Amino acid sequence: MKKSQKILFDFAFTFATLSLAFGVNLALQELFDTRIMIPMIFVLGVFLVAWRTRGYFWGIAASLISVLAVNYAFTYPYWAFDLISPECLSSAAVMLIVSIMTSTLTTQLKKQEQMKAEAERERMRGNLLRAVSHDLRTPLTAIYGACSALLENYDELPRETQIRLLTDIRSDAQWLVRMVENLLSVTRIDAQRVRLTKHDTVLEELIDAALVKFHKHYPDQPVQVEIPDRFVSIPMDAMLIEQVLMNLLENALFHAKGMKNLWLRVTISDSRALFQVEDDGCGIPPERMKELFTGNLPSDAPTDSRSSNMGIGLSACSAIIKAHGGEIHAAHRPGGGTIFGFTLEMEEAHHGKQ
Amino acid sequence: MGNNKYKVLIVEDDRSISRFVQAILESNGYQVLSAERCGQGLLVYASHMPDLVVLDLGLPDMDGEEFIRQVRRESTVPIIVLSARTEEQDKVSALDLGANDYITKPFGTAELLARVRAALRFSRLNMQAAPTGSTFTVDDLVIDYDRRQVSVGGNLIHLTQTEYNILSFLSQHTGKVMTYAAIIRSIWGTMDDGSVKKLQVNMANIRKKLGCRPGDNRYVTNELGVGYRMLDE
Repeated sequence: MKKSQKILFDFAFTFATLSLAFGVNLALQELFDTRIMIPMIFVLGVFLVAWRTRGYFWGIAASLISVLAVNYAFTYPYWAFDLISPECLSSAAVMLIVSIMTSTLTTQLKKQEQMKAEAERERMRGNLLRAVSHDLRTPLTAIYGACSALLENYDELPRETQIRLLTDIRSDAQWLVRMVENLLSVTRIDAQRVRLTKHDTVLEELIDAALVKFHKHYPDQPVQVEIPDRFVSIPMDAMLIEQVLMNLLENALFHAKGMKNLWLRVTISDSRALFQVEDDGCGIPPERMKELFTGNLPSDAPTDSRSSNMGIGLSACSAIIKAHGGEIHAAHRPGGGTIFGFTLEMEEAHHGKQ
Repeated sequence: MGNNKYKVLIVEDDRSISRFVQAILESNGYQVLSAERCGQGLLVYASHMPDLVVLDLGLPDMDGEEFIRQVRRESTVPIIVLSARTEEQDKVSALDLGANDYITKPFGTAELLARVRAALRFSRLNMQAAPTGSTFTVDDLVIDYDRRQVSVGGNLIHLTQTEYNILSFLSQHTGKVMTYAAIIRSIWGTMDDGSVKKLQVNMANIRKKLGCRPGDNRYVTNELGVGYRMLDE
């Protein structure tokens, strides 16, 4: 569907440009009574077509049509074809060269842009990998150490110590699970670039599921919820969006020092849903703000693994929201704290096959 | 004494998972049998007739769904499916095939035990003839099947015919996840493109009438993308 649209656009653009060139030439011929401008105008037209359309086909087609047009309307014998004259052949050659060279240049340019984007993705992946290996090591070391301590000194360790070690193992393992889930989402989305399977999801049920999950892990942190009263259904991959909400709520919990209130708000404008997670904690320093969603570790990253998980959690959020065609952003909250927000489209852009 | 215990069969190929599930269940008074493959599981099932099966969907020799299909041919033994988070569709099809419940990996002790208890209770209820003229109670919600009335905290709730039917259907399968498809089949008979939406709108109205707030659904939990479950404890 998208491809046929592109072809249609290329065809329309070629047709319009050439018609315009033809019309302008007719007019100029009337006005100035000279034909010097004619090939120039057509070369300009061919150049535009080769530049704006995809591949070589339209540029070459345009140059051939231009040659025919010049030959037919603007050279002797007028309004008739005379295809074997040397003028015609040489102008055809020039037009062809112009169009091929322009197409080559623009194709190269497009390739370069693609490579740049690819390199950017590669860089993000690299950052993520570095952050991950950095982050995996700490809890794994702790788990390994605690298990060895328990196994090798089982009878000597007092009961409280045993329980404390086991509790640590559990919380480290839980933390690893969350991180691996985030990683899975990121790699799933950007490796295959698959279209998400979006289903209409009832907003209230989504919020409910996220909150139930959040309260199960953190029963002591109340969340103030403000969502529209009416029935709202949004197309999304509900599991992934639930994960985004969890990440944002957890981030606030772990990083917003001194937080008293945590809000989860959803507002609907005609075509978009805006989700906001807001805290009144310590806020994020401005220099960290712009690096938040890139998975970049700040150069002075603390070795405390929990704080860099924020990077992975947020780059997972960003990947998920981008794959949904939405936007994610963070801002300072007036009066202290941070607002994380993301948008989702209320309607599927097109109802193509999945 | 030992033969009074509920027998639980675990079919799971990962030994660590199997072992810790076994440890949890045994220390809570269940007798545990285990199998690492589907074929072996079916054999153990046929010879011991356990009261409950905990089944991993991704087994090396056969699809877990095949196991459900074969067991369901002759028995209503409750089956709890273990699934990874990403296997959304597998979950739904396992439930539609007749599995009673699913637990998403990773899971904790409390979650596992609650599901096991609910599934066993469900099978006990099913064995008795459907009681007539009874009521159903969860928390402060009471459903009076005779009068087709629902009340919360003693206050009568006015539900439409459809809303009542949905609620009463869920309550008759309390503790079990009912998929969208299963509910729709039972309420409207047929399923079309708009059915799920229709069900969701009805559920939203029910929640509103029962006074449920997001994150605090005391009666019916929603399983995103799967279905609904009437709570039972």
